[in-house]
Amino acid sequence: MNWPQIIVTVVTLGSIFGVVTLSLNLQHARGGMINFGIVAYFAVGAYAYAIFTQPAPQGLDQYKFGFGWPWPVALVAAAAAALLFAAITGWPTLRLRGEYLALTTFAFAEVFHSFLLNERRIGNGTVGLANVKRPISDWGPIEEKYVFAGAAALLMIATLLVFRRLLRAPYGRALDAIRDDEVAALAAGKPVQRMRRQVFLISAIPVGIAGGLYAMFTTLAQPSLFTAEVTFIVWIALVLGGERSVYGAVAGTLGLIFFEEVVRAWPFETVRSAQIAASAEHIVTGLLFIAVLRFQPFDRIAERVKATR
Amino acid sequence: MLFLQFLTTGVVTGCFLILATIGFSLTRRVEGFLNIAHAELLGVGAFTTWWLNADKDWHIVPAGVAAIMFTALVGLFVARLIYDPIRERGPAVLLITSTGVAFVIGGVIDAMIGTGIRTLEIGLATSYEPFGIRITNYQLIVVAFAAVVSVSLALFLNRTRTGLAIRAMSVNPDLAASRGIDVRTTSRATWLLSSGLAGLAGVMLAVLATLTTDLPFAQILQILAVAILAGLGSLYTVILSGLIIGIAMDVSVYWIPAGYRPLVAFSLVILVLLFRPEGLAGTRAA
Repeated sequence: MNWPQIIVTVVTLGSIFGVVTLSLNLQHARGGMINFGIVAYFAVGAYAYAIFTQPAPQGLDQYKFGFGWPWPVALVAAAAAALLFAAITGWPTLRLRGEYLALTTFAFAEVFHSFLLNERRIGNGTVGLANVKRPISDWGPIEEKYVFAGAAALLMIATLLVFRRLLRAPYGRALDAIRDDEVAALAAGKPVQRMRRQVFLISAIPVGIAGGLYAMFTTLAQPSLFTAEVTFIVWIALVLGGERSVYGAVAGTLGLIFFEEVVRAWPFETVRSAQIAASAEHIVTGLLFIAVLRFQPFDRIAERVKATR
Repeated sequence: MLFLQFLTTGVVTGCFLILATIGFSLTRRVEGFLNIAHAELLGVGAFTTWWLNADKDWHIVPAGVAAIMFTALVGLFVARLIYDPIRERGPAVLLITSTGVAFVIGGVIDAMIGTGIRTLEIGLATSYEPFGIRITNYQLIVVAFAAVVSVSLALFLNRTRTGLAIRAMSVNPDLAASRGIDVRTTSRATWLLSSGLAGLAGVMLAVLATLTTDLPFAQILQILAVAILAGLGSLYTVILSGLIIGIAMDVSVYWIPAGYRPLVAFSLVILVLLFRPEGLAGTRAA
């Protein structure tokens, strides 16, 4: 087992998905919205980054747009695209509540996925966009993978700080009030609908940037990377870490990605045993998820900490 | 002519979707939550059939019956073990938990079956061509089952004691309990019934399609589409909306590439959710 490599990968992927979990935490635990289509916003960021950095199409390329712009512009474009997508999907869906909202966001993500699969003019269809541009290939003495891990961690910490700042401000308390009792918040003069929409939009921005970073890291923007499974994984990470705290969301994601990477890097003797291990990964993830939801250990710890204070 | 062919295939798809969705809607109606793991129960049914039929050389009929019974028991077991203890936490937690259940069942199926494609030992389909429209005997079986299940479910829910108890419980569990209905027995009967229906749909999936382990879960998208269009929890409109989604998906192939089938189904769903969230049934499904 190549532990240093595993740890670098866990920090990189864990931070990238950690950003998504943090946004989900903001939407769900604070805004009371169930977004079952979070992968779509992530995919929009990744594709936007890829499209803005790709050279103009040539030869066998089927995509129509490639601007060949520098990467910082493309990252901004990724954030903007995710924001725009959130505005388009949020405007009609946020009137809905609970499971209806979950289903509509899920449906939007599926439609978007199917669109990416079939519309060759955007991103080559199933093949996707390969060789997505990485910023600078020569970092002197530092290896590129460490640069990526650092960048991803930085993005995650920045997201965490911004969200924490936002939630500790009066704005965050108003959000909690809306989540706990919408009618009372409305009676107290809080613009409930507008704030829900704002949270939905704000949380899409870091998801878009994380998508761009993911495309950079994997150098790929392909529909198969953005299936409903990503949504489920992020939800599992959120539940694992305890929905009530931003640190829990990060810890849950890192833990889950670590577990996945270890299973992936394990030296298996036969193909069959590797297959079984991959299924076992699903089984254990699912069981953990069920157990955490049922016994809620993190809520209990949080309560105990509060009681001793 | 080609259009009529697509229409016919659409009806078959619709009939399969009816079978796959009725159990899901029954769970939603009586237990009050969306059981995402329902699609994996289709997988349990399909792969049990495959194992008995292709591996153990059973005839398809006893293999199918055994698979349906086994699936019903698995569904009941999962419900008693996992869903019952967290019932009072509300539908959102149950919905999220059921994705975990889907992961576990899917993982178990994956571990036991492995990758690759599987087909039953039932010979190739015989096709008939009345009026130049092709339909196979297996497709006709699916249509027949959808019709039989719809009619017998209606009779069951309206004429039998258990069926009436299920309906009473779905409307008002507390009132049903105070009127002397055994809520726990009724809930178990519902789980057996809805999971058994998932098993039947799984057998049909095995008969119609070449099986891969990710095929069952892919059905959840269409099941959700049909259930939403019908109005969550309503049963009779599932028949109508199953046909609408099936026909819409297959007929759309006439104009646009086949890859867009799920997009067509979900665009319909989004439209319905935005303009008529209560679905075709028209009743408030809160």
